[in-house]
Amino acid sequence: MVQYSYFPGCNLKTNAKGFEETAIAVSKKLEAELVEMPSWNCCGTVHTLTSDNIMKRIAPIRVLSRSRKHVETLKESPNQVVTLCSMCNSTLKIVNNEVKKDQEILDKINYQLEEDEETYETDMEVKHFLEILRDIVGYEKISEKVVNPLEGLKISPYYGCMLLHPEEAKIDDEEMPDVLESLVESLGAELVMSPLFKFCCGSYHIVDQEDIVSSQVEKIVEAAKRRGANALVVACPLCAYNIDQQQKAMARNSVGKSPIPVFYFTQLMAIAMGEPVKINYFNDHFINPEPLLKELGLIGRKKAK
Amino acid sequence: MSKTKTKQEEETLTVKIYIMGSAHEVPASLTIMKAMEYAGFKIKRGAGCRAGFCGACATLYRKAGDYRIYAALACQTQVEDGMVLTQLPFVPAPKAIYDVDSLKPTASSILKFYPEVARCLSCNACSKVCPQEIQVMDYVQYCLQGQIDKAAELSFDCVQCGLCAIRCPAEIPQYHVGMLARRLHGKYNTSTPETLLERVEEIENGTFEEGFEELMSLSKDGLKKRYTERDFVDQKKA
Amino acid sequence: MSYEYLKFGKEEKDFIAKIEEISGQNIYSCYQCGKCSAGCVFSDKMDITVNQLIHLIQLGQKEKVLKANTQWVCSSCLTCSVRCPREIDVAALMEAVREYSLREDYEKVIISEISKEALDKLPNIALVSNFRKKTG
Repeated sequence: MVQYSYFPGCNLKTNAKGFEETAIAVSKKLEAELVEMPSWNCCGTVHTLTSDNIMKRIAPIRVLSRSRKHVETLKESPNQVVTLCSMCNSTLKIVNNEVKKDQEILDKINYQLEEDEETYETDMEVKHFLEILRDIVGYEKISEKVVNPLEGLKISPYYGCMLLHPEEAKIDDEEMPDVLESLVESLGAELVMSPLFKFCCGSYHIVDQEDIVSSQVEKIVEAAKRRGANALVVACPLCAYNIDQQQKAMARNSVGKSPIPVFYFTQLMAIAMGEPVKINYFNDHFINPEPLLKELGLIGRKKAK
Repeated sequence: MSKTKTKQEEETLTVKIYIMGSAHEVPASLTIMKAMEYAGFKIKRGAGCRAGFCGACATLYRKAGDYRIYAALACQTQVEDGMVLTQLPFVPAPKAIYDVDSLKPTASSILKFYPEVARCLSCNACSKVCPQEIQVMDYVQYCLQGQIDKAAELSFDCVQCGLCAIRCPAEIPQYHVGMLARRLHGKYNTSTPETLLERVEEIENGTFEEGFEELMSLSKDGLKKRYTERDFVDQKKA
Repeated sequence: MSYEYLKFGKEEKDFIAKIEEISGQNIYSCYQCGKCSAGCVFSDKMDITVNQLIHLIQLGQKEKVLKANTQWVCSSCLTCSVRCPREIDVAALMEAVREYSLREDYEKVIISEISKEALDKLPNIALVSNFRKKTG
């Protein structure tokens, strides 16, 4: 059993508990266990695009430094920090790459960290859990563990903007990704391709410019539904919140809109692998996926065989 | 012989400190607070228990030849030669008004009243300045993550001096945030101790009325006598 | 047809230099092909498109640049940066314009004006990212 130093990020302990618990459950089943770092700070969620703001780069480097210490305590752990959130993935990867290339920035940040007895020596790699699933575990092994194939689910993968941009952070080809597609298929669900797979959902504008998010979400969901999708799969908690919550708001405001549930990729895996339904925390969703799952016979019946 | 030596030592052992810019020669053995009073300052705000518990006497200082900003409680810290210091009479940070009974022990409850917590840069300036050596940044992060129990535990020794809030580049009033976390934790995550309920019942039943009435009737000297003659050891044995 | 007289003095040049310094980009690399605006998923919500804003920066038109909503509608999805044929990090330019305002003590989002109800329902990931981008 390989253990990975796992960095949860701010969201997975609050309103996205189901994403984390399902991930940890399937990670154990796949012998690539996610072990949470003992003490961690928020990475900042967005990477600063400035050339001169050191302050905003301290948080991600502190995460890498603490994760490096955590790795020492784990079994067979590579020097990798694994995240479930695409915003964490992007922020940590970009800053990690910056300090690997630029000793001067690293020195400045380390100077700040020294008093806290932390130093970063650029000896960590950042991985999104999807990368571990694809490159280390492999889809074959995932398929083997499926006891409850997701037949009837027509899933459209939605990557959002952070998983495929930029070069330093992307986990797959930016125009033709297939990591979520292959995962969906290996779980026995039907794949529905949508052209708006990385059409930004409006991200943090949800706080002060909700109209932007709502118009983006409408397009994203419509594009997927028109092609026959009855669910979306995402790998970013903010995409998940925006699409889920905005659909609910839209359904309230206009007639005839039928919202479709949004799954985190780890939730789909947990259902397919026969994990208990409660670890999904479906009650936290705005569009509860349970009615659809029940209708398709994927939950709420005696386990087949 | 030794007596005169001590006297000499006492005379020679003075240090030069700078209180709000002006130089003062003060005995080296004094705390910052006593040194200020020795120098003639009358402290009206910024002093309380004088025993390191109330957090009223936050002081900022630098040392000669050292760029760092140091912080301490004036009643707990001895003067050093070359200290450049000022006392903070008060840290301006409004407290949020909330009804702890209507909240939940979640990150949202914290962010609702202190949304600036989301601005934390993890720079750790707050932890570095804390005179209680609390990992302030970590408990702020626990609040953001909704790990209220850990935040409450980590912030437990806080004396509300407010130095963290002075140093924070994200302008978070950490000490108020920690207080909210501890209130949420106390209310929702811990069980009410039985002994507390018993004691409340005793008070309500008037068990201590007689004793209080007796104390209230005493003169100042009578009170003093009772205070100096009090004996904890006997009570414990009893 | 009317023409607008544009001043191009020290003030304008200083503005350009500051934007270049914050972003680390050469503003004159841009040859105005418009690919950034064409690919931007928020173009329809901007009062000035991305390439137009870059043109205004090239001309040092600080007031017009800071008045635009372009940089505040941008969500740093980086589609423009990935597609720019001149390899300009266009999103970094947008960030530089935002930072320029924020460093002048301007707050796009006034945190105290967000309602308690909104704060109660918004996930912390949204608040952290929003405040990092829109408060100084």
